[in-house]
Amino acid sequence: MTLSVVYAILFYAATLLLVVGVARKVIIYARTPAPLKIPVTPAPTTKAGVVWRMTKEVTVFQSLFKACKWTWLFGWMFHVALALVLFRHLRYFQEPVWAVVALMQPFGQYAGFAMLAGLLGLWARRFLVDRVRYISSLSDHLMLALLVAIGLSGLAIKYLAHTDIVALKTWMLGLMYFDLQPLPSDIFVLLHLGLVIVLMVIFPISKLLHVPGLFFMPTRNQVDNPREVRHTAGWTAK
Amino acid sequence: MKAKRNIQRFGLVALVFTLFSFEAVADVPVPDIPEAIKGEQCVEEIGFMRRNHMELLSHQRDDTLRKGIRTQKHSLKNCFTCHVVKGTDNQPVTVKDPRHFCRECHDYAAVQVDCFQCHTSVPGGAKTTGTRP
Repeated sequence: MTLSVVYAILFYAATLLLVVGVARKVIIYARTPAPLKIPVTPAPTTKAGVVWRMTKEVTVFQSLFKACKWTWLFGWMFHVALALVLFRHLRYFQEPVWAVVALMQPFGQYAGFAMLAGLLGLWARRFLVDRVRYISSLSDHLMLALLVAIGLSGLAIKYLAHTDIVALKTWMLGLMYFDLQPLPSDIFVLLHLGLVIVLMVIFPISKLLHVPGLFFMPTRNQVDNPREVRHTAGWTAK
Repeated sequence: MKAKRNIQRFGLVALVFTLFSFEAVADVPVPDIPEAIKGEQCVEEIGFMRRNHMELLSHQRDDTLRKGIRTQKHSLKNCFTCHVVKGTDNQPVTVKDPRHFCRECHDYAAVQVDCFQCHTSVPGGAKTTGTRP
């Protein structure tokens, strides 16, 4: 029961840090003026066009695709697989489980392996590509190590040493209902949850902020209309 | 400066206190696991069964089907000598019924069971229709 309490406190704290931390950063990003009109051309000339451009950017990583096919391949594979895996994990947070979540369970399992393959590809890039190795810092490697460790410990629960999945879900729902339940203390579960807590805590102070940051790129989110509309922002508005 | 620190400290204490003074908003939903109708002890220890019953069943399947070794201890049929849920007509419910022993937890954890496409889900060998639950 001690472990249940410790992990519960850590989860509440990590959630608080994640939500408040990311919200704070988003507010900072939103308030930071982009005084120059700098959409990368060819750029859309209407607002709807910008929405379409951003949609492509978010879903298929268009500019990364144009920049580097290998990075795009592994990066996109990782992100899509991560989305599936996260979607699969929804089953721990809802009762009854949505039919679509139940339906996606097997795909989420495959995605677990695809996610690791993508991460290992991205990691190999940091060793094998000279230019990238030169600019890779310790934190770049540690971030990949953390994500790989989360993936491996998750797959270990599924394929090496099972846990009491019903008790685990009850514990997680218990957090949401403020009604603490015992956590099954299998080593891979504790490891997996512990690493996820670490990830949640460092999210708002790390490169992972590209998730909200993506939407604030002036080179991608601006309409190409400098002659039609005078662009003012921040100090240029004064 | 000191006043500010005191306010911060008070805020922290208040936060921790609030977290722990929460009454449960509602009871956590848990699967309604039916009692076994006979026997005190499962074929293996309960924590082990909750984690590994699927491995036992698959292993039993491989032994029986591929090697011809047919034993009682870990057979699916054996599960239903104890783990039976009776419906209103006092007949064992099949896996199509959400109250079925397997389904209580499998629905809860969103894990699909594929045993019953072929196997019966009630004691005594009554056939299921072969449709998915």
